[in-house]
Amino acid sequence: MKRIIVNNLSKKFKIGIRANRNALSRFISIFSGRETKKEILALKNISFEAESGEVVGLIGKNGSGKSTLLRAIARIYDKDGGEIITNGNLISIINLNIGLRERLTMRDNVSFCCSIFGLSVKQIRERFNSIVEFAELKDFVDTKLYQFSSGMLQRLAFSIAVHCNPDILLLDEVFEVGDESFKKKSAEKIKELVAKGASVLLVSHELDMIKRHCNKIVWLDKGRIIMKGKSKDVIEKYIQDQL
Amino acid sequence: MAYQKLKTFFGLSWQLAKADFKLRNEGSYLGILWYLLNPLLMFGLLFLIFSTRVGQNIPYYPLYLLLGIIIFNFFQKTTLDSTNAIIRNRSIIKSINFPRTSLVFSIVLKFLFSHVFEIFILFIFCILLKIPILGLGFYPLILIFFALFIYGACLFFSSLAVYFIDLENIWIFVSLLIWLGTPIFYAIENQSRLFTLNLFNPLYYFITISREVVIYNKMPELWMVFGMLGYTLLALIIGFIVFGKLKNKFAELI
Repeated sequence: MKRIIVNNLSKKFKIGIRANRNALSRFISIFSGRETKKEILALKNISFEAESGEVVGLIGKNGSGKSTLLRAIARIYDKDGGEIITNGNLISIINLNIGLRERLTMRDNVSFCCSIFGLSVKQIRERFNSIVEFAELKDFVDTKLYQFSSGMLQRLAFSIAVHCNPDILLLDEVFEVGDESFKKKSAEKIKELVAKGASVLLVSHELDMIKRHCNKIVWLDKGRIIMKGKSKDVIEKYIQDQL
Repeated sequence: MAYQKLKTFFGLSWQLAKADFKLRNEGSYLGILWYLLNPLLMFGLLFLIFSTRVGQNIPYYPLYLLLGIIIFNFFQKTTLDSTNAIIRNRSIIKSINFPRTSLVFSIVLKFLFSHVFEIFILFIFCILLKIPILGLGFYPLILIFFALFIYGACLFFSSLAVYFIDLENIWIFVSLLIWLGTPIFYAIENQSRLFTLNLFNPLYYFITISREVVIYNKMPELWMVFGMLGYTLLALIIGFIVFGKLKNKFAELI
């Protein structure tokens, strides 16, 4: 079963040259003519697929369009051309942000974030202990998140996401912080989800991790696909290109 | 399917409202008192100034004034907060796809909590002034339509605020004009110009109907009820159309 189908996807961004967002300046611009806007093509004709039970890696330099691609697949950004088809419950963690509120306790945050991912109150209650245990944060249930380290936040965000029935998991630079033991544990959890038929799209600058866990890789640069295929081949070319 | 979607929408809105409510009252067990203090101070001040002048010919003026204040408060606070809703939640909007409308509805719910506290003060006033509290029992019915009207207005303001960054400041000024133009601390009987103007003011309908029902224990006039329903529907239609048109660009613009 194909979980993600991306076909000829394009995405443009308009970048305003002048700051022109208050009511008065918008009113003035009606008389002075439209403001000049620069258009950048963030994604150009992107096509790839992810099968059920597959982990696909996305690699590329900063600004190559990896996060934009994830946001387009998650329907956070509107596409300007092409087609995106997803089959199943989609959960995204982009830049470790799942809506955690640092002035609330972990208990409140778990309820809050799980609701955003579509879990009912009953489901949240049933999974609460499992989320806390997986994140290894049992002793901090009633601690406010501003007192958490970035590693603790990462563990919590990942734990919440994997407990919300993902069929498609979009992970953007989730493993750039955190210790090795949790990385291993997370990798095991991903394997478990994939074995059950989920698809994972993993964005990371850690090539070792990508190589170890991804079945195939898509290499992006300036919004275009430079290469896609087996992990080993793409990473080899990517490293050569970086030298 | 539709029931499931509605259940998810309300569930999420409730959780968002609960989180925001807790954040607002963080570290303060007396935080809720502030909700009561604000309308009470406003009431005390206006009562001192106007009770012997404009209030003289208005039966049960203390209740008349208090009900006007708390209804307007609910509208003003909620719509004002909605002008920040999308920008305040930019990180979550840029990371997760969830129904954006629930973010706006959660603001209505959040201020509904504090409105309930204010209604409690009204209840105490009713008892002190020996007004039958039967009318107050019908207030939730008016409140449903009022909350829906506010929800429509909030959808409109929250989406426009992404495009007009100073909308909050503009709305503070405009809502002050509405406050002065709405018969909150005065009555508009025999003032035909003000009356005509207020026909275009949705708050006039909600406040007048509430007063008729809660304070004077009377059935509201039918044309007023139609006005209330009409403005509620209009606000929802405009709100959903504008929000629906603009919501797809939120994540790119914030």
